[in-house]
Amino acid sequence: MAERIGVYVCKCGPNIGDKVDVDAIVDDVKGIEGVATAKSHNLLCSADGLEFLKSEIEGEKLTRVVVAACTPKMYEQKLMRACEEAGLNPFLMQMTNIREQCAWVTPDKALATRKARSLVMAAINRAPLLEPIERKEIEVQADVLVVGGGVAGLEACLSLAQKGRKVYLVEKSPCIGGLAARFEEVYPTMECAPCMIAPELQEVLQKENIEVFTHSEVEETLGSFGNFSVKIRRKARYVSEEACIGCGACFEPCPVEVSNEYDEGLSKRKAIYVPFAGALPNVPVIDKDNCKRFKGEECRACEQACPFGAISFDDKDEVIERKVGAIILATGATLLDPKALPQYGYGKLDNVVTALQLERLNASNGPTGGKVLLKNGKEPKSIAFVFCVGRKEKEYCSGICCMYSIKLAHIMREKLPDAKLYCFYSDICVPKKEHQQWYDRVVDQGVEFIRSNGTVAVTADKGKLAVKHGTDSSGKTVSVDMVVLAPAVEPSSDIEKLAGILDTSRDDHGFFCEEHALMKPFATALEGVFAVGSCQGPKDIGDAVAQAGAAAGRVLSRLVPGEKLALEPMVAVVDEDLCSGCKTCILLCPYSAITRDKEKGTSVVDEALCRGCGTCVAACPSGAITAKQFTREQILAEIKGVAK
Amino acid sequence: MADDGAARQLDKEILSPKPGIQSPAEGGGDFQPRIVGFLCNWCSYAGADLAGVTRLKMPPSMVAIRVMCSSRVDPLFVLKAFLAGADGVLVAGCHPGDCHYQTGNYYTRRRFALTLKVLEELGLEANRVRLSWVSASEGGRFAEVVTEFTETIRKAGPNPAKTEVFL
Ligand code: FES
Repeated sequence: MAERIGVYVCKCGPNIGDKVDVDAIVDDVKGIEGVATAKSHNLLCSADGLEFLKSEIEGEKLTRVVVAACTPKMYEQKLMRACEEAGLNPFLMQMTNIREQCAWVTPDKALATRKARSLVMAAINRAPLLEPIERKEIEVQADVLVVGGGVAGLEACLSLAQKGRKVYLVEKSPCIGGLAARFEEVYPTMECAPCMIAPELQEVLQKENIEVFTHSEVEETLGSFGNFSVKIRRKARYVSEEACIGCGACFEPCPVEVSNEYDEGLSKRKAIYVPFAGALPNVPVIDKDNCKRFKGEECRACEQACPFGAISFDDKDEVIERKVGAIILATGATLLDPKALPQYGYGKLDNVVTALQLERLNASNGPTGGKVLLKNGKEPKSIAFVFCVGRKEKEYCSGICCMYSIKLAHIMREKLPDAKLYCFYSDICVPKKEHQQWYDRVVDQGVEFIRSNGTVAVTADKGKLAVKHGTDSSGKTVSVDMVVLAPAVEPSSDIEKLAGILDTSRDDHGFFCEEHALMKPFATALEGVFAVGSCQGPKDIGDAVAQAGAAAGRVLSRLVPGEKLALEPMVAVVDEDLCSGCKTCILLCPYSAITRDKEKGTSVVDEALCRGCGTCVAACPSGAITAKQFTREQILAEIKGVAK
Repeated sequence: MADDGAARQLDKEILSPKPGIQSPAEGGGDFQPRIVGFLCNWCSYAGADLAGVTRLKMPPSMVAIRVMCSSRVDPLFVLKAFLAGADGVLVAGCHPGDCHYQTGNYYTRRRFALTLKVLEELGLEANRVRLSWVSASEGGRFAEVVTEFTETIRKAGPNPAKTEVFL
C-alpha cells in the first residue's frame, strides 16, 4: 500500500511565518509522490493545532506525518502523543526544525525559504521509511543488593527498607559499620562515632526485610537492570549465628595469637575473634588460615569452652542466589600503605603511625582503651602530623585528610595538653561550612602549622624522630616522639574483582567511574548499578551518606513493585542472519548491552541496557545491526532529500 | 568547556585536511554551497538550536541531519552525501570526554580519520569534510563553524562528483 503522507508546516506565529515563505513550500511539496496533503498552520503546538493535527490524521487516513516546525527538543513528545491519540504510531511522525536552525538564523527570506524547503524535502523522503515502534515494558524485581556495610551501605539499606523493599546487604568483613565504627569521634560534630551509628546498625540487623550477609562476597552477577540474578558466597564462619550469644568464652582458651588487622596491627587477636569490642553482629569468626585445627592439629579449645555448642568445624561456604532489580556498590575505601614511600620511615621506624592507627589508639574500644601511647608505653610529648602523604604520587587530593588530621590534632591537644603538636601541610583543604572554623580553632589551641610542600623526611634521632622539611640542604628539622601520617585515600582492595564481576568501569585512580561527575555522581554507566560513598571517590561520612540516599531514591522511583519498567524504544537490533559473530560491537558498547549468544554465535542486544547511541550500528562490518528510528535507509533517504 | 581550546587545536591540526589539494575557486560569487551536517542530538544539535535562540546569523548552506550520537555516522553516510551532490559534509558532536554516551565521540574521531583517508584515495578534496566538537552551550561556536566551513567550501567550489562519476 502506498503511504499517505501529511505534511504540516507550522508558522509559529510570525517566528517562522515572517521569515520563511511557508505557503510556497506547502504548494511546492503538494505534488510529491506519497504526499496526500500539505497544509500550513499558525501554531501547531497549541491546543488548537494539536486538535487540527489529530483530525487531519483521522480524516485524511494518514500513514505518515511530517511536521516542519521548531526544534524537536521542544514539542516532539507532545506531537507524538497527538499522533498516538489519533491512532497513528508516534514513531511514524518525522519532525524537521525550520525555526531555530533556519528561520531564526537566516535573515534573507528567499534563502531561508530555500533552506526550509531542503529540510522539508529531507523529511518527506525519510517519512515512508519510518517504522512503527512498540514501546516495551518489562517485569522487574524491586529488591536490591547493597554491597558494603559502611555508613553509605547502611543508609542505602535503610532508605530502601523503609519503603518496604527487600534488601540484601553483603559485607566482606565479619561485622558491619565500616571504617566509621572504628573511630572514637568524628568531625565536624565531634560525636562518638560508635554511638552515632549504633542505632543504624541495630536497625539494619533487626529489620525484617534486610537480609545481612557478613563475611560474604558477591561471586557472580547475571542479567541487567530490573532483573539481576546474583550469587553470594557466605564464607564459613565456623560459629553458628543462631546459637552464639556473643559471650566471648571462646577467646581465652584459643592458643593462637596473630596481629589484629582491625586494630591496624596494633594489637593481637585470637584465631577465633570479633574484630573489636562492640562489633556487630556480635558473633565471632574462626580465622581458618591461622586456626590450629585447620592446620591439622588436634585442637578443640574453643569448641570445649563454648557453653552453647555454637562452634562447628564442619561449617562449609554457602553459595546463595538472590534476584534483585538494582545493585548499590558501597565498598568504601582504605588508606594508601605508606611503606611505598620510604622517606616517611613507616614500617621501619617505631612510632611512625598512620592516621588510622592513631584513630585506633584513641578509640576506647581500641588496643589501649583510648590511651595514646608510644611503643615504650609512655605518652608522647610531641607529635608531628604529616598531611598529603602520597598525594603527588596519586595525583589527586583526597579531600578529607586535612580535616581528619585537624580533628586528630584537636583530640591530641585535649588528651595531651602539654604536648607540642605540629602539622606539616602542602595546602590546607577545608572546604565545608564548618571546617575552616576547626582549622582556626586548632591554630588557636597552639598547634603549629608548617608548610612543607611535600618535602618531609623522617629519620631516627636518638630515641626520637627527626622530621626534616624544606628542599635545600639547610632544611629545618623538628624533633618529635610520634609521627602521624595522613596517606591518600584509595579504593578498597576488592574493588578490582567486583568491577570485573559486574563489568563496570573504574577511573584512572581505580575508583568506580560515575556516569556523570555532576549530574549522576552516584550512578555507573551500567543501568541499575550505582556506586556510592568512597568507592566512587574519597569522601567524608556526610557526603557518603548523601550519595547513598540519592542512589536509593533513584532505585525507589524507578523500580516500583508491581509496576513495569518502560524501556528505551529507540534501541539497536541485531539481524542474526547477517551477524558474523566478530564481536566488534561487544567491545564498543559503552553500556555492556551487547552479549554473545553462545549457541548461535551471534550478538544479542539487551533492550533493558541499550540507550540507542548507534555506536555499534556504524561499526558493524556486516551491517547486521540496525538502530531503530535511525536506520541506514532512513538516514540515506534524508541525505538524498536534502540534495533534491 | 575545559578542553575547548584543546579541541579546537585538534580540529585544526589533526582533523582538518592538510592544505594543497584545493581545487581552484569556481562558480564566482553566486555559488551557494550545500553542506550536509550530521549533528549529535545532545550537544551539537542543541548548540545549533541555541545559535537560533540567540538569533545569530549564519549562511543557509548547512542542512542538519540529527543523529543520537556522532558515533552513529557511518563513513558511508559521508560518501553518500557527496554522491548525492553535497559540496561539503560536517560531522559535529560533543567535546571529547563529554559524549552523552560516554565514549561515542572517541570512535567518531577514529572513524573520521579513516574516512578522510578513503576520500583522499577517491580523489575528493579532504577539506570538504570537517569534524567539530560543539557543546550545547556553544551557539556562537556553532555559527562560527558553519560560517568558516561554508567559506572553505565556497573557495573549493562545487563538488566535482556532482557531474563526474568517480566510483
Ligand atoms: S552524544 Fe554527542 S557525540 Fe555522542
